[in-house]
Amino acid sequence: MKRTMVFVGLILFSATLFSQGNDDLSPQRKQAIDSLALEKVRDLSKYISIIGNKDTQWSEAQRVIERAIELFMPGSEMGVSSLSKPEVHYYKVREYFDRLMQLNYDRVVIDWYKIQYVSDLERQPDGTYVGVITVFQRFQGYDKEKGLVYEDTTKKDITVYVKRKETQIGGRMIGFWDVLLGDIRVKETSK
Amino acid sequence: MTNIVSRLKSFGWQQFVVITLVALVAVSFDSCKSTGKLTRKEKKAQIEMYKQQMRAIINGTTKMTLEEQDRAISDAINKNFGDDELNQLILQAQQISKRAYADQVKAHEQQVAVARNKLYDLLVNKQNLSADQLEAEMNKIKAENLGDEEINELLGRLEKKISDMRSSNAVEMSLKTKLESSFQSIADAARAGNTSMANSLISSALNYFSAPDVPVLIIISREGSIVDYDKPSTINNYLNFLKDQKESRNNVDSYQMDSAGKIKELDLIKK
Repeated sequence: MKRTMVFVGLILFSATLFSQGNDDLSPQRKQAIDSLALEKVRDLSKYISIIGNKDTQWSEAQRVIERAIELFMPGSEMGVSSLSKPEVHYYKVREYFDRLMQLNYDRVVIDWYKIQYVSDLERQPDGTYVGVITVFQRFQGYDKEKGLVYEDTTKKDITVYVKRKETQIGGRMIGFWDVLLGDIRVKETSK
Repeated sequence: MTNIVSRLKSFGWQQFVVITLVALVAVSFDSCKSTGKLTRKEKKAQIEMYKQQMRAIINGTTKMTLEEQDRAISDAINKNFGDDELNQLILQAQQISKRAYADQVKAHEQQVAVARNKLYDLLVNKQNLSADQLEAEMNKIKAENLGDEEINELLGRLEKKISDMRSSNAVEMSLKTKLESSFQSIADAARAGNTSMANSLISSALNYFSAPDVPVLIIISREGSIVDYDKPSTINNYLNFLKDQKESRNNVDSYQMDSAGKIKELDLIKK
């Protein structure tokens, strides 16, 4: 009986050690990657705003599109909704940005706000941290003569993937956190 | 005659005798002092005191400095008490004192040798210390107050080296400030909607760097020896990022220069 107790104890002790080794991020480091992922979503919101802005030169918009695409996992999609249609269309991010640049308004204002986690970053068996960030997007389309002709507010969920990687720079090995955004899903659209 | 006899009889003979005795004692004391002669008892006490001092020197239990010991030995010799035991003790104490002096000289020479080696190491800055760290090490050597000409000369050279390092640090500080100010100006110009100004500032900021693809690393967390970075970027992308995001969120942490004095690697850190 005593031997069995010791054996069970050892198994529990090993399991604890194993779980610590698997997830040894201190609260400070975890907070740093949480903030980094939120920052990437805020970066994307600025890029979307620049791409949608009719005053942005075409070459500049192309450069920003490239930078925005770098934020996404390959093959990621963006959901697009409208008050006039019940269905949500999903486009590959490059196509979405191209369409955004060519929207048929004289002026477009896109603003993202209330950017926050709805699901905290959780460590997956492969070491990737996955979480969901929600944003509210206010879209305003203006006509030169008529002024504001379309406006909606959409709640969107963005899946974020964060993985630690290593690379060699100038002869030294550095560990960095690669934050990539996944699909952006429309949750609700309202006026 | 009868008068004289009666006057003599009435004179206070007892008082006269007392006064005369007091005067004689006073005169005898005064004469003793003026010749410096010791009473036997005092001499014995002094001999005993010197013996104790000599024994303490011989046994190494004295609290006197070497100079004080020397003085005590000289005093004991000069008194010339003619005490055999004391004379023997004086001889032994003299030998001990000589040995102690020799040891002191040897220890000083060793201290000088250690300080010399340390100073040469500091001059070539083997451990890659900062100016403040070098100064702290230099002050430790200064505090030893070795009074050696070569050491003083080396200390002078080290002082100059520290001063040179500080002035070059000041140059580095100004470059760090220039970079941060340049980053902020780009963000400010973009926020003001002046894209052409932002682009022009980007072009001039690029002049600090050896190439537009110089790597830029952003430290997001530093915990002991563990440093976490954001995904590496290039200086060209980072400067455009400042324009796009219209804000400068990072400070310069460190940079490496190439032989032409241009930055070849830049590390930033979250503000």
